[in-house]
Amino acid sequence: MRTFDHIDVYSIAEACTTLREYQGRARLNAGGSDLLTVLKGDFLADYPEAVINLKTISGMDYIREDGEYLRIGTLTRLTDLVSSPLLKEKYPVLSEAAYTVATPQIRNVATLGGNLCQDTRCWYYRYPRSIGGPVQCLRKGSGPCLAIKGDNRYHAIMGGKKCFAVCPSDMAVALAALDGKVIIVGPEGERRVEVTDFYHPTGNELAKDEVVREIEIPIKRTPTQQSFRKFTLRKPIDFAIVSSATVITVAQGICTDARIVLGAVAPAPVRAKAAEELLIGKPITEETDTAAAEKALVGAKPLSKNEYKIQIAKTLVKQAILGVTD
Amino acid sequence: MADNYRYIGKVVPRSDGRDIVTGGTLFLNDLPFRNLLYGKVLRSPHPHAVIKSIDTKKAEQLKGVRAIITYENVPDWKFGNPPIVHLLDRKVRYVGAAVAIVAAETESICQQALRLIEVEYEVLPAVFDEYEAMQPGAPQLYDQLTGNLLPLMAVNLGPTSATEIVTGDVEAGFAEADAVAEGSFGYDNIPNPIPMEPPGAVVHWEEPNRVTVWVSHQKVWLNKRILTIIFGEEVKVRVIVGPCGGSFGSKTMSWQVQCYAAALSKATGQPVKLCYSKEEQLACFVLRPATRINGKVGMKKDGTVTAVAGSWILGTGYYSMTMQTQLAVGCGEAMIAIRSKNWNLKPAIVCTNRNSSGIVRGFGGQELKCALIPLLSLAMEKLNLDPFEVLKKNFIKPGDGYYWRDAQWYNYRGIDYSPAMDQGAKVFGWKDKWKGWLKPTAVKGTKSIGVGVGIHGNADVGEDVGEAYVRIDNDGRIVIIQGLAEHGTGQRNNTLKVAAEVLQVPIENVSITPGDSLITPVEWGPAGSRGTYGILGAVIAAAEDAKKKLFELAAPMLGANNPEELDTADSVIWLKSNPQKSVTWKEVLHLRSVLGHGRFDADYTLANCMMSFVEVQVDTETGKLDVLRVVNTTDAGQIIDPQGLEGQLNGCLGSAGIDSAVFEETILDPSSGRILNANLIDYKWRTTAELPEIENVVMETPMGTHRFKAIGVGEISTSPGPSAVLMAASNAIGQWLHEYPVTPERVLKALGKTTGENRGGAR
Repeated sequence: MRTFDHIDVYSIAEACTTLREYQGRARLNAGGSDLLTVLKGDFLADYPEAVINLKTISGMDYIREDGEYLRIGTLTRLTDLVSSPLLKEKYPVLSEAAYTVATPQIRNVATLGGNLCQDTRCWYYRYPRSIGGPVQCLRKGSGPCLAIKGDNRYHAIMGGKKCFAVCPSDMAVALAALDGKVIIVGPEGERRVEVTDFYHPTGNELAKDEVVREIEIPIKRTPTQQSFRKFTLRKPIDFAIVSSATVITVAQGICTDARIVLGAVAPAPVRAKAAEELLIGKPITEETDTAAAEKALVGAKPLSKNEYKIQIAKTLVKQAILGVTD
Repeated sequence: MADNYRYIGKVVPRSDGRDIVTGGTLFLNDLPFRNLLYGKVLRSPHPHAVIKSIDTKKAEQLKGVRAIITYENVPDWKFGNPPIVHLLDRKVRYVGAAVAIVAAETESICQQALRLIEVEYEVLPAVFDEYEAMQPGAPQLYDQLTGNLLPLMAVNLGPTSATEIVTGDVEAGFAEADAVAEGSFGYDNIPNPIPMEPPGAVVHWEEPNRVTVWVSHQKVWLNKRILTIIFGEEVKVRVIVGPCGGSFGSKTMSWQVQCYAAALSKATGQPVKLCYSKEEQLACFVLRPATRINGKVGMKKDGTVTAVAGSWILGTGYYSMTMQTQLAVGCGEAMIAIRSKNWNLKPAIVCTNRNSSGIVRGFGGQELKCALIPLLSLAMEKLNLDPFEVLKKNFIKPGDGYYWRDAQWYNYRGIDYSPAMDQGAKVFGWKDKWKGWLKPTAVKGTKSIGVGVGIHGNADVGEDVGEAYVRIDNDGRIVIIQGLAEHGTGQRNNTLKVAAEVLQVPIENVSITPGDSLITPVEWGPAGSRGTYGILGAVIAAAEDAKKKLFELAAPMLGANNPEELDTADSVIWLKSNPQKSVTWKEVLHLRSVLGHGRFDADYTLANCMMSFVEVQVDTETGKLDVLRVVNTTDAGQIIDPQGLEGQLNGCLGSAGIDSAVFEETILDPSSGRILNANLIDYKWRTTAELPEIENVVMETPMGTHRFKAIGVGEISTSPGPSAVLMAASNAIGQWLHEYPVTPERVLKALGKTTGENRGGAR
């Protein structure tokens, strides 16, 4: 790693001002499980002059219901999302998703905000400096996306415009299924963004001086069936090849509301709205389930080596809706 | 078996175990040195290029930088077979090839200096596919080679080496076959054995010609030999090898790492440490060789293999150090596993613009077997034969023979391993689980279960030479003087066991010298499961010699005419005819010690054997393969170290073993030649959190080796499994799978669940 200033901040406001002072040459650090790999790999053109430590801000790790909303602080550790009795009972899709992330050691340091803001896993983008120098690509601002003609087995099957890297966050997928909003703080105040809109084809919604403060989720008034599925080659450690989160409301055998979200298939979590519409008003049967899974993947356009992800995505959606367990 | 042993076959705590598990062991990177400098390597971004200019001025001006070496000022050191690989060259031949090396006061200054070196390249067309590399007009890696083909002679094996298997009459063999199968079969996913500790060295070059090397390595003498060849005979090389954090063969090829440090030390006069990062280990260090055969086999209804013919292409990457030896050993191992009278297998070794392949346990034989068994399977399917029976029938039996790596014929004097195979099949439940070719053992919803079996055997159990001294000191303690590194198998502890057994002393009284070439005699080092027969054989002989010398001194004191009239235990010597008449070692060794010498000479007339059964589950909707159960079966003659053996056999999954059929692979970008997965997230290695059930069946039929009748089996535990996984997965889904590893993409394609259409990526 190269040297950099390490600055402790004690409030979100201070984090914003410090970001502004450094004019894009500082990076935020929460748990560090992603940022340190970025700094060690040294694959970005601009190495940060400063790392701003958010862990010194107190009171940012909370999970609480507050009137209309479930609120989760940005510094809440994934391990706490896994073990929270409230989440386990009413928002199991969140604790299930958190449990699939990395390993216990990493979940002990990694935070919800960090999970949402982590950098892409694209192996062209992350190619390390030490082995012949980093690779230039569209996401880094020059040249085409190398995955198009290269080895794209883990890349996007939908929603890719010019960059085909996928959103690596498991938490984003689960939060999208709960209609979660990201509360962003900047020098001009706060704003709220849908989780699915938080991600851009080549980055995320945060401006250079903004920080994620909280995740806000509308409280569920009626019981829902929630499920998070993640397909990986290895159970521990791996990032998703495909994931899915579903939150379904069933009343008298009929689906009255549905959120079906796919992860690791596109630059952002993808709401499968056509599949949701197909289910609503119908009973959950093998037939409607299969039809919904097919609908969820309509419009997928695989690259040369990732068509298999379509089949896996359909399977995950089907299993999630039916509540099939392994 | 013989249960009257004191230590052999008994569980004895490893003398180094406590320190390893409590963090007390000093590995290379922990060793303290005075005036130590650090070294780092600048690496090429191009797979094939000529350096037009290289400007190190800015880097040299950086405070703390002590030396920068490029192809312009590097010592003229080269190696490889043939020795055409310069330590630094004007031409780079893979992404990651060394362009410059820097020594500085800290690693961080090294990194800064690397960023300040300016290099201009003339980029050349590159070739990554072995078949393309052999075509006329293909980019040529070396002026000295034609068609990127390397010579096939393994110069280190002596005057002759096996370069092919040609014997009998294959046409006649095909004519008498009931079924003939042919096709192209590869094992070319070039997995990396990734031992936990990356390669590294500290070198101190004291002018003019004294060099001390501390290195993470599995060999002492051989490494000194290699470095002496590179530096020149006038250079006095001392190699010190401490605990080595795993190797699986790979670190035998760390001459470049050591030579970078040596060149920087020669330039600065100070010791230099150069340790690879995990990324460098994955992208710039040893990969398993790539293999492809275009072959044809003939088989009779009774499972007799009547002929094997074809070409065997070995992809070695940008150079070869030992590929010729791997070819030679692989050929011999094929003959051990397939008792065919007629062979015509013609190998070729091809260079391409990627990181080099090299030594990985399985050493040529695993590579060839993983391609040959799927070919044999096609013939078995045509004849509806049970693969267990066919593999059992075709494995070498007493009375058979083979051409071994030196191209000489050896008559096999080992055992028939059929009882071990039968026992393994019984434990696995093969008879019940095998339902026929391309038939699952069971189907439960979308989960389909299949079984497979593979086999491997190696006559390198008695390879090469080694010597040891055993010194009995006047305090009754024993010192084994042998150049042996501890690279994880527990072999150093086993030398204590055999010496304690021969001399009948408490094992606590026995020590072994550090692996230091200044102290220790010739010893080839661990390779090809030779430790049990070769390494321990030399120690046993030395201990027996020491005992003989001790008895020669004791005989007059006990009024014996002949040392053979004596016996000893616990430092007391007595007359066999009158045990009351005794003398202590202390009395015999008053102000003196005795030194016994033992030597092991190569013996290629024995082979070990491992058969692995695997049960896999394939999800037919997602294509995911899981290994549920592995049963390894072998005969070790006599178990020396039960726990060490279990560890070796349980190691069948990783180090580019069974998991090279499950998910381990090195992924090369098809256009740039960059290794895309040079990190431990994208390189899929198995974590201990998801181990399948493993059972090991170990029989103990006395072997014609040394007094303990034992034979080594550790090295080969990775080898039978990969082809067994392919077989099991094919049976599970009812479709042939012939590519390693069995990815979801390949399974779903075989099941017809993907269309092969590529609709995306339009700009």
